[in-house]
Amino acid sequence: MTGGDSGFFFTFFNLAVAKQYWPNIAAGMLVTVGVGIAVVVTGTVLGLWLAVVRALGRRALALPIVAFADIMRSLPPLVVLIVLYFGLPALGLPLSAFAVTWLSLSLVLAAYAEESIWAGICAVPSGQLEAARSTGMRWWQAMRWVVLPQALRRAVPPLTNRVISITKNTALGSVVALNEILNNAQGASSYSGNPTPLTMAAFAYLVVFLPLVVLSRWLEQRWQRR
Amino acid sequence: MPILEVTGLRKSYGSTEVLRGVDLHVNAGELVCVIGPSGSGKSTMLRCCNLLETPTGGRILANGHDVTSATVDINRLRQDIGMVFQQFNLYPHLTALDNVSLALRKVQRRPKAEAEALAQVALEQVGLGGKARSFPAELSGGQQQRVGIARAVALKPHVILFDEPTSALDPELVEDVLNVMRDLRQRGMTMLVVTHEMSFAHAAADRVVFMDGGVVVEQGSAADMFERPREARTQSFLARYGSRRS
Repeated sequence: MTGGDSGFFFTFFNLAVAKQYWPNIAAGMLVTVGVGIAVVVTGTVLGLWLAVVRALGRRALALPIVAFADIMRSLPPLVVLIVLYFGLPALGLPLSAFAVTWLSLSLVLAAYAEESIWAGICAVPSGQLEAARSTGMRWWQAMRWVVLPQALRRAVPPLTNRVISITKNTALGSVVALNEILNNAQGASSYSGNPTPLTMAAFAYLVVFLPLVVLSRWLEQRWQRR
Repeated sequence: MPILEVTGLRKSYGSTEVLRGVDLHVNAGELVCVIGPSGSGKSTMLRCCNLLETPTGGRILANGHDVTSATVDINRLRQDIGMVFQQFNLYPHLTALDNVSLALRKVQRRPKAEAEALAQVALEQVGLGGKARSFPAELSGGQQQRVGIARAVALKPHVILFDEPTSALDPELVEDVLNVMRDLRQRGMTMLVVTHEMSFAHAAADRVVFMDGGVVVEQGSAADMFERPREARTQSFLARYGSRRS
């Protein structure tokens, strides 16, 4: 081994630094996983709800939903985050970094989820709803038991990709001082004067998101079979 | 007593008048076939009977209840008016048994075991007792349509509306479906059937209704309609159809 190699290891894989700061990274992982799960749950539930309301076919309801989805899909998530973080206190509603990250990314995910699920609903032939209604089902029963199961099957592949890319955006929370992986790693890196914590952050992201990517691949294949 | 009574039924889409005052009735236990050229309003008339289309005028009485009245519980009424579709419209994500039992469970609120037992009986009635666990994609078109009939029959309706039930089928599968319908007729089921199967209408129908241009042109017994049609339009329609059949 040459001196240059040991310099590389000293810089990016410094065991002493890693030993000192791994609790920070681990704590950041918990926050990332926590805010990620919260975003996935509220984002997809809100998106599903919006898509179903849009399917009611009332213009007065559909227009605001389309506007919401288009605006949220146009704005960079970082902008949504910053606007809400600095804007809400002005409205007398100061929220924690965790809550703002959760809210911002949920709104963005909801917009994409609404579009995916809406596309799924549109792809179900109208005869399905008619057949269900002809047996006496109410609109929402036909939706719940006949249309949505088919629509969601179509929506899952595009949706899993969105879920991954948006939950990864939890890293944006570092901008508003959310103590998630990246923020903690940057802090540790400054304190120690060594970038090893950033290497650790990369590994931490892999540990959190690689299983999610693999799961989504499995989901896509399983759901497309039928 | 008529199970279904249609009086002066009108339906327009924008300025296009599809139904221009249709009168017909179906008595208990009758099989009535509606024939006529495409675009004559047959299917629209049928779809008005269970309010899949909203009529613009006229009256429809189903078992004495006014279908179009604002106070009627249409979801209650639809359980008494079964419907069988040209494209089957089976639920592709559910097995044959679940296709038939879904409304029994979710609409009639029957326990799962009871609903499935009733669904199984309905499937056996259409000769598909052994296909309960199959998904629609695993069934032939004729079998799918028979599941569609079982789905309607299982709710024990007063009348079943058939919207060109064999038009989407390969010729060799048509007869299976028609046999199930003949069998239903034997059991006393009241049926209103829009069809292009002239030989079925001739042989099985109690009455035949000829529609053209959004009105009923002529109706009568199957024998009268096919052997002694009075109206010129009926004669020319039957002549064209007769010459097309091999």
